Amino acid sequence: MFELFSYGDAGWGDEILRGLAITVQLAIATLPVGLFLGFLAAFASMSRLLPLRFLGVGYTTIMRGLPEILTLFVVYNGAGLVLNAAVQWWAPDASPTDFSPFAAGVVALGMVFGAFAGEVLRGAFQSLDMGQAEAGRAIGMTGRQIFLRIQLPQVWRFALPGLGNLWINMLKDTALVSVIALDDLMRMTKVAVGVTKQPFTFYLLACLIYWAMCVLSELVLAQMERRANRGIRRA
Amino acid sequence: MTQPDIILKAEDIHKSFGNVEVLKGITLEARNHDVISILGSSGSGKSTFLRCLNFLETPSSGKVTVHGEEILVKNGRPQNARHIEAIRARLGMVFQQFNLWTHRTVLENVMEGPIQVKREARAEARERAETLLKRVGLEDRMQMYPAQLSGGQQQRVAIARALAMEPDAILFDEPTSALDPELVGEVLKVMQDLAAEGRTMIVVTHEMGFAREVSSEVVFLHEGRIAEQGPPEEMFTNPKTEEFRRFIAKAM
Amino acid sequence: MNPLEVLAQYWPRLLDGTLMTIKLTLLGALIAALVSPAFALIRVHASPRAQAPLRLYVSFMRGTPILAQLFLIFYGSGQFRPFLQEWGLWAFFRDPFNCALLAFALNSTAYQTEILRGGILGVPRGEIEAAKAIGMSRIRSLSRVVFPHAYRIAWPALGNEVILLMKASALASVVTVFDVMGRTRQIFSKTFDFSVYLWAALIYLCITAVFVLLWRQAERRLSRHIDARHKTQSTGQHFKDTRA
Repeated sequence: MFELFSYGDAGWGDEILRGLAITVQLAIATLPVGLFLGFLAAFASMSRLLPLRFLGVGYTTIMRGLPEILTLFVVYNGAGLVLNAAVQWWAPDASPTDFSPFAAGVVALGMVFGAFAGEVLRGAFQSLDMGQAEAGRAIGMTGRQIFLRIQLPQVWRFALPGLGNLWINMLKDTALVSVIALDDLMRMTKVAVGVTKQPFTFYLLACLIYWAMCVLSELVLAQMERRANRGIRRA
Repeated sequence: MTQPDIILKAEDIHKSFGNVEVLKGITLEARNHDVISILGSSGSGKSTFLRCLNFLETPSSGKVTVHGEEILVKNGRPQNARHIEAIRARLGMVFQQFNLWTHRTVLENVMEGPIQVKREARAEARERAETLLKRVGLEDRMQMYPAQLSGGQQQRVAIARALAMEPDAILFDEPTSALDPELVGEVLKVMQDLAAEGRTMIVVTHEMGFAREVSSEVVFLHEGRIAEQGPPEEMFTNPKTEEFRRFIAKAM
Repeated sequence: MNPLEVLAQYWPRLLDGTLMTIKLTLLGALIAALVSPAFALIRVHASPRAQAPLRLYVSFMRGTPILAQLFLIFYGSGQFRPFLQEWGLWAFFRDPFNCALLAFALNSTAYQTEILRGGILGVPRGEIEAAKAIGMSRIRSLSRVVFPHAYRIAWPALGNEVILLMKASALASVVTVFDVMGRTRQIFSKTFDFSVYLWAALIYLCITAVFVLLWRQAERRLSRHIDARHKTQSTGQHFKDTRA
């Protein structure tokens, strides 16, 4: 039975590892996109300008209410349409291009991550101690300095547990891209199942790999939280 | 069998937490209409002893008899644990932190025991609950939730809740210690009325006035033992032990 | 086609899908709600060794994608076909709806167990002691004091979990259950009209919004005792909620 998982032509070890590599790449590529959108959403929803606030709150509320797989399809199919329309307008003779599944995955998962991260970050900013910002003003720091030197480093500490959860959710959500034909871990497992006719064995293997990634992430996050809380709580 | 007018009897109660022996063999008897005040500095084991009487804390060893129901404890194991719930139903308890059920109204808090434990009819339980709440002066608060009441009012509800079970005796575990000073009086007043009515009460307290004026017997615990015991006048005017002398000197 | 035409032509299918989504979500949540209280009690009271299997189950369910769990059940059961046929279970596992429901119920059970565990741990110890002191048996104190209180604490988190489950139920479309997502993909593959996705989004948002309203309404009823704190003491019997 172990030859099933071996590396090379006989087994599926290499295919599944390749799928795993895509999954990890996807998750790592999504993280900065999602964090960026999350900060934008957080600032927008805390903005003093009503339209901006409306935009921020609308984005986080709607995005969080939609199934991730729907978002993925909307981005994959919709972005393809928009892209082709743009290409046609720019160069009417060009042949229609396809939005790559990987890019669709990054954008869709990033948008989902961003919406939830927006809420986490907003909560973190709001739980900051206002007295510290005041102390900064009192010694003559500018708003920008206060933000960069005092608030941002502390927001990190408040937001880390929430963002950690989002990372784990996003890691699991990457499995969805198999549905739009990206050769990630889930899809390579499906290919292996198609040939070997051993669905339980391979899907269990896939589950165990995801599980291991999540448990590993949890360990790393716990470590990061401990570091972030240096000087706050005593052991 | 115990004598008929002995309501509660605790014999040689020991209790250890880990290696620390908190109670080192306490024997106490409560007769009908007794009001026993248990005094002692913090750490003397007085609350632990009270909680052993209705097995909220299981003694390490000893025997508790309530109304002929006897529970013997050896090595931290009660011999007939089935009787514990019956004993608890016969002993009311009033806690320092009130411990009202916050998700039920005042009236429901008082009705809960009679309906759920004594299987009384709803109407009957309600009628008595209303009477009791009137007695503790809360007839206009019956539909409120505990969170809406002051500490003193909550404690009076808790007393009504204990009375609703028609207990043979009521245990009070520092009933006024969590209250703001100005609210202590209203609770003590209710307790005084109960004593005057002839209720059997065992009260762990810091209120020297109550111990002296209201109780029929004072028990002074020191380091897990009864150091001194007797009628209040005698004890307060003429303390026999150095520990109790120092205790009242500090409290006065 | 313009978006309204799409809706005019395909609304019966979308409605059908909506009912399927609701059915799948509510049944899954309900099954989990029936099992999780017992599990939560084990998580609170059992010895670490006794609850090890349960913790493993919860960790697995939380650490793997629901899509993978769904595939494990739906496709994975095929590997045991002779065995399942022998036991008369094959008919159950051949039906994608059953498999999706099973997967969602198992998944939600894990989450609900942990949520409820938190609720139980949040019940003030003193209130449980008061129940004991009045002579309530363990079961009675659980049913009259611990669980009513624990559910009130856990209520918002449980609502979130149902919404998450509703969103996850869209995955059932991948194994050919015709819920909102399934119908949407079906319609899109016929018309290639992108607007059907927007209608689907609107349907999901509406389901969420209605659910949130109902859940809050229930929460208000359940937490009168908490809101009560903010009222003046003389208002007496009738409370109106002032929270947003």
